[in-house]
Amino acid sequence: MTDHTHDPVGPGHDDDGHAIRHDGRLYGVLAEYDTPGELIEAARKVRDAGFTEFDCYSPFPVHGIDEAMGIKRTILPVLIFGGGFAGTCGGLLLQWWCNAYSWPWNISGKPTWSIPANIPIAFETTILLAVFTSFFGMWILNKLPQVWHPFFRNERFNHVTDDAFLLGIEARDRRFDAEATPKLLTDAGAIGVENVYLDPDPASRQMPKWIAAFIVASTAFALIPFAIAAKARTSHSAEPHMHIFPDMDFQPKYKSDQAMDLFADGRENRGELAGTIARGSLNADDLFYRGLDRSDSGGAWTTKFPAQLDVNEQLVKRGKNRYEIYCAPCHGFDGRGAGAIPQRVAATGGVWLARNLVDASNPVAIHMPNGQLFNTISNGYNTMMGYAAQIPHADRWAIVLYVRALQRSQNASLEDVPPDHRSGMQMPEAPTP
Amino acid sequence: MSALQKSLHSDEKYKAGKLGQALQKIGVGIAVVCLGFSLVYTLLSDPEPARVAGHFDPATNVGDRWSRFLHAYVIGWSYIFSICVGVFFLVLLHHLSRGRWATAVRRIAEAMSMAFPIVFASGLVFVIALLAGYKDLYYWAHPDAALCLEPAAGAACHEFLHPTLVHKLGWLSPGFFAVRYVIYAVAYTGMAAYFIKKSREQDESGDPQLSEKLRIASAPAMIVYSLVTCFAAFDILMSLAPQWYSTIYGVNFWGSACVGGFAALALMVLGIQRTGRLTHSINPEHYHDIGKWMFAFTFFWAYTAFSQFMLQWYGNLPEETVWYKYRLFGEWQWVSIAMLVGFFAFPFVFLMSRWTKRIVPSLVFFAVWQLVFHWLDLYWNAMPSYDWHVAHHGAATMVAGPLSGSTAYHHVGFSPVDISVWFGLIGVLLVGFGRNLKGNLIPVKDPTLGLSLAHENL
Repeated sequence: MTDHTHDPVGPGHDDDGHAIRHDGRLYGVLAEYDTPGELIEAARKVRDAGFTEFDCYSPFPVHGIDEAMGIKRTILPVLIFGGGFAGTCGGLLLQWWCNAYSWPWNISGKPTWSIPANIPIAFETTILLAVFTSFFGMWILNKLPQVWHPFFRNERFNHVTDDAFLLGIEARDRRFDAEATPKLLTDAGAIGVENVYLDPDPASRQMPKWIAAFIVASTAFALIPFAIAAKARTSHSAEPHMHIFPDMDFQPKYKSDQAMDLFADGRENRGELAGTIARGSLNADDLFYRGLDRSDSGGAWTTKFPAQLDVNEQLVKRGKNRYEIYCAPCHGFDGRGAGAIPQRVAATGGVWLARNLVDASNPVAIHMPNGQLFNTISNGYNTMMGYAAQIPHADRWAIVLYVRALQRSQNASLEDVPPDHRSGMQMPEAPTP
Repeated sequence: MSALQKSLHSDEKYKAGKLGQALQKIGVGIAVVCLGFSLVYTLLSDPEPARVAGHFDPATNVGDRWSRFLHAYVIGWSYIFSICVGVFFLVLLHHLSRGRWATAVRRIAEAMSMAFPIVFASGLVFVIALLAGYKDLYYWAHPDAALCLEPAAGAACHEFLHPTLVHKLGWLSPGFFAVRYVIYAVAYTGMAAYFIKKSREQDESGDPQLSEKLRIASAPAMIVYSLVTCFAAFDILMSLAPQWYSTIYGVNFWGSACVGGFAALALMVLGIQRTGRLTHSINPEHYHDIGKWMFAFTFFWAYTAFSQFMLQWYGNLPEETVWYKYRLFGEWQWVSIAMLVGFFAFPFVFLMSRWTKRIVPSLVFFAVWQLVFHWLDLYWNAMPSYDWHVAHHGAATMVAGPLSGSTAYHHVGFSPVDISVWFGLIGVLLVGFGRNLKGNLIPVKDPTLGLSLAHENL
């Protein structure tokens, strides 16, 4: 800012020695009006006089100024629509490319490309690009950021964010006249009209060097993470990763199965004391907890069901429910060993065998006593792991019962069906010649 | 040249005069003709035979002929109710947000929302049918359903009612339903009456304190309004499929209601202007803002409808997806696609532009369009339940309740009664509007009227 404090001057008075002492070429004239209404009137007169290179400055948006200045409606909404549309398409394309084209991955047999699942992402990218277009488009269309303007040299312009309503016409307008133009503004009711000159020193119109240096430096810093990521993609390292919070990563405490020098055996874990048992873990009933029948020849697999359970339809349904959660993924809903996992592994070229529980031609599971089936569920069989941790004892018995029901139903004959339910179940008889 | 304030034009005709009576006559005419036709048509029609193969027995296995009429009636009633809900939202929001632009159209909105008493009176048709034990509308009102609340009911009840429904029977009982219906009627009517009464008082006294009073009242009123709207949607529409769960249902209904409300407001304002009234006060600036609200709620409806669909589709729980099973497969899928395109995509893209909302014939086109699709939205929500009643009447799947059985037997099964009941109830709504279009059509002494008359969209 200069100390340019002299009173408004009319046309022809700008040769005053004091006024132009620090000034260069004439940039334009700046007129101040008392009210928004007068500013609108003045803008309309300036527009009607054919000026195009002029602008109005006010502390708040003035209704009707656009129309008075002859400004066309902004194209920003069209740009925002384009940005939003590009966001929708880009979001959908990104998901298609990632999920269905570049890296298709079978997740529980779900389709790799499905529009409803992609809508939320596409919605967000639509909003994102529409808002970006709106925000940056507004800056660009308004020629922002503008760190310097010749009008900043004028004392009146300091009040434009406070209470001044200003209209400035640039000297480069082809209708500009050093005498007629200020008169036009005065006739339109200006309370003051001033010529504004450029600073004669060209350096004052350039961006300060420290700002340029800051932009270069911050851009360089912003590239560092990308450079590290790019390097990591193409190189290998045997070093352990950095510990940013070592006291969180290495806490002064013992976790399970760590070494420890406090005890003679060097282990941190302590086993059960000999001759003791944890509260509630006695499980003395061999039949219920282990499937063993002590009364029969000293600990053979039982063929019965524990007396604690009522063998009824409710228990079968419970068993079906548990079976379909824990067993069906491998053994299949019908027990024939063709569950979703064997099928999926086979589809990818591997082998995953699950026992056919109901096969009459290879009746391993059919001939197992109840107790052995129970033990198999509890402790596993060949590559099958035990489910003792997941399934409570009573539920394991319910599954045994349901497997029995499956074995019966999958090998049933028509005689097993109650007579009043048989209708419609027979195969059509071969036509007799 | 624009001014911040304008006063009412000296030649402005802002008195309703005979307008209300004329509208009531039109309304009565439409209601009598259309509802009369619906009754005669239903009485003369044959009951629809059940469609499930192997269960068709013309002697006993037939749908009730009143079921379609009552389903259409619930849809038509929800339609006129939702329009009042949507219009009343503008009144509440205007006060709550110290609105300015809407002052010029606020009295019309107030008068329209005072149709609540007549709307609720017309809804007594299905409330009384329910209390009388009619079971082919709301499945949970089956007389045997009450037996399931007995402690001894046990497993036998599960044969008859879906287990999730048993837990809801405490809420879904005809008596309690009727009590809630009365609560809704009193709440809406009371709020709408209060706001128009104080507003009319201001016409006489010009007391600016009344505006402040209404602003303070609008905050609790908005809370009550949100709650009763949600619960009314749960009770009257959602309980047609009582096993189903959707917590966003009320919000979705409200979004659709506001589309209809603002569309109806635009048409009503235009209709009043066509009679030579308010021609100086209401201009494209006000239509533009009504159109903006219509646009906003068009998107809001789609947003909530998709939120409801997306979570249930992805979660893939049988008790939730089954509701969509009937709407996305079979014949109803074409209605679903029509909703997506007609109620969302088409109006959304075109209402986005400033000009479709400012050019009045274009706004009228979209208002009528959205009013039709708002009805289709309610139809799409409710009518598949009727179809279930017919398709499975007396069949084995009946014991599992609505939302069971195969979609293969489901048909849109369009009937003229669907349209005639809808139009008849629109006649009822017009009577409700007409009764309150009296005195001033604009709040002449509202302190913000000047701002509203000078309103400009930048």
